[in-house]
Amino acid sequence: MADINKLIGELAQEVITVKPAPHPFILSTKWMAGAAAYLALALLISGTRADLMAKFQEPLFALEVAALLGLFVATSISAALLSYPDMHQMRHVAYTPFATLALLVLVMLLAWRADVPPVPSPIHGFQCTIELTLLSLLPIAWMFYAMRKFASTHLRWAGSIALLFAFSIGALWLRLAEQTDSTMHLIQWHYLPVIAFGIAGLWLGKTLLKW
Amino acid sequence: MTQSLAGDQRTYAELLQATTRLLRPYLSRRLNSATEVDDVMQEILISVHKARHTYDGKRPYKPWVFAIAKFRLHDHLRAHYADQLHHADDLAEIEEFLPDHVTESALSYESISAEVEKLPEKQATILRMMHQDGYTAKEVAEKIGMNESAVKVAAHRAYKILRQKLEE
Repeated sequence: MADINKLIGELAQEVITVKPAPHPFILSTKWMAGAAAYLALALLISGTRADLMAKFQEPLFALEVAALLGLFVATSISAALLSYPDMHQMRHVAYTPFATLALLVLVMLLAWRADVPPVPSPIHGFQCTIELTLLSLLPIAWMFYAMRKFASTHLRWAGSIALLFAFSIGALWLRLAEQTDSTMHLIQWHYLPVIAFGIAGLWLGKTLLKW
Repeated sequence: MTQSLAGDQRTYAELLQATTRLLRPYLSRRLNSATEVDDVMQEILISVHKARHTYDGKRPYKPWVFAIAKFRLHDHLRAHYADQLHHADDLAEIEEFLPDHVTESALSYESISAEVEKLPEKQATILRMMHQDGYTAKEVAEKIGMNESAVKVAAHRAYKILRQKLEE
């Protein structure tokens, strides 16, 4: 008990004026703005697919992009909430990425059923996953750097959501830039890797977000 | 907390004192000894200090501080059980060869009982119960009011002492 009193004395002596961290919604808006600028730059360099405007007339494509955008927004908000020890007391909001991920799975199932006869897969396969990963590397580093400034108490979950956020940027870029409509290709080389990296984030979060 | 964020040292010390009073019953219910409670409490206070910028004073303090307390408590328990598991692994290795060693060599429990008696009382009792009376570690734990891992660790230490003495 004497040790605790001594520690309290020491901590109190160290205390200086501290600027409270911003509200998680402000934080996530900043992250989204940064990510959107990065995505726009990537699209500017790589160029968008030639038939992008025409593709938006197709409901399933529009729904798929909307689901990806939903994942992007939801993971950003969730990552911001998870950066706070108490999730800013909005635990239920932190679960929203699961809903958007479920929506994406549903859209892909519908697209798969509608893909008759199946659109042939492009020759490349793994190359898409590599490009997706490369584009997501910078956002991953940035997210972990940003989140380490806070104090997450759900390290695995926070790591997974951070990776999903970073990969949602990559997935959006690839979908808007690559001229591919094969549902099997999209599932196999775009979305399954996103989910796999989301799972890998559980370990990464535990390792990198310790404080 | 809002005043503490503004750098008021006295208020901050009072807040940490109040936090200690708030968390002590919570930790005491979950940990075995007062020393452990104090150790975890200190870790929590340091964490509260490190994370104080994530609290803005506009939402209730208790859920915030309990989130940190729970996080540090789980950290402590994970480390504690991992340590016990590590000891249990060591014992498993020893237990594999120990019965063979005893039966195959000229040594028996009876032949080393004089050495066993020289061990600290608790260790000697545990060995007597396990090797003379034939109780398992779990049964010994129940009989003498210790937990099973602690019995295994005590037995492990006793084996080490005995081995050293017999090798001399």
